[in-house]
Amino acid sequence: MTHKWHNLSERGSPFALRLILWIALHLGRTTARIILFPITLYFLLFAKPQRLASRHYLNRALKRPPTLKDIARHIHCFASTILDRVFLLADQGDCLDVRIHNAELILDLVAQKEGCILLGSHLGSFEVLRVLAVSHHKLPLKILMYPDHNQHITQIFSALNPEVADTVIPLGRMETLLEVDEYISQGYIIGMLGDRVVGDERSTSCEFMGEQTPFPEGPMLLASTLKAPVILFFGLYRGGNRYDIHFELFSDKITVDRKHRATELQQHTQHYANRLEHYTHMAPYNWFNFYDFWNDQDKTN
Amino acid sequence: MNMMPPKELEVAKMILETLSLEDITPNDIDPEAPLFRDGLGLDSIDALELSLGIQKKYGIKLRASDDNITQIFSSLRSLTNHITENSQ
Repeated sequence: MTHKWHNLSERGSPFALRLILWIALHLGRTTARIILFPITLYFLLFAKPQRLASRHYLNRALKRPPTLKDIARHIHCFASTILDRVFLLADQGDCLDVRIHNAELILDLVAQKEGCILLGSHLGSFEVLRVLAVSHHKLPLKILMYPDHNQHITQIFSALNPEVADTVIPLGRMETLLEVDEYISQGYIIGMLGDRVVGDERSTSCEFMGEQTPFPEGPMLLASTLKAPVILFFGLYRGGNRYDIHFELFSDKITVDRKHRATELQQHTQHYANRLEHYTHMAPYNWFNFYDFWNDQDKTN
Repeated sequence: MNMMPPKELEVAKMILETLSLEDITPNDIDPEAPLFRDGLGLDSIDALELSLGIQKKYGIKLRASDDNITQIFSSLRSLTNHITENSQ
């Protein structure tokens, strides 16, 4: 039965996505947001792994067992930010109230043509920053990420705004970071997300929300190799049409002593995990890692 | 016992030094085996460190946009050839 539903949803999704896109662009945000309720319900009922991940996460974030309503709110928050990507990419972002905190951190570096690393996470929306930076302010920004496997939605979003889609530097090629080095020396901002360990990439264990879990070592290793400043960013969705983008100076220059490399990388990564935890508590429903982040399932088995 | 040509040995030493691969000796490197992934198991961050090391030592800048970048990095031998051809 589950398998069947899975197949159905796979087949149905490109059409459903196009329908939602049409409604959003033709009938506006208020109407489109009504559809978020059945979508939330659908995922609440049928997306079991995501629902379980949400439950495990909320249990930590709220420090109590979450109700079904909490989980629904979590999914709804995620769906809201996906829908808003449509308006942002289609240059209809005026319907959103975006407030930026500490923008001068980035603007000063851009003015001095000094390249930097802009380190984010899957907490909140990343598109809100990307569109503002690229389309509105024409800032030199590149985003380092793995090619998206969520093909349908990626294609739709790329078609909406090819300029923004062009900012991606795909990870996974041997020469990827040589390219990053070249962009940094030209004064580019290199955006990346530092909370998900993908495949067999290097990771280090950090305490996060009260428990040890692996974080990628890559961002700190890259920052120390490039000797570029690191700025943190969090694009938090605050409900309604409101977003808060926070910038925070993480380090002017990360130095890692080769002899104590593993320990020092762990310390820098732990510092990042601490800041991520701080912002996660500020906006707990913005946690968009809908998978077994702390390996809870291994522990119960 | 060392059969490696001197230049290849020098580049092999440079690689091991740059990447702090202390448990490997130059003779452990098959000059024709891939340096990345399957072979020596290096990744993109190693490629970056290695290219910074090559720039420092030989004054040769490797670029991601170089058409033959994958080929240059494909083995110790091809990297050595590239360095030899582009030195001074």
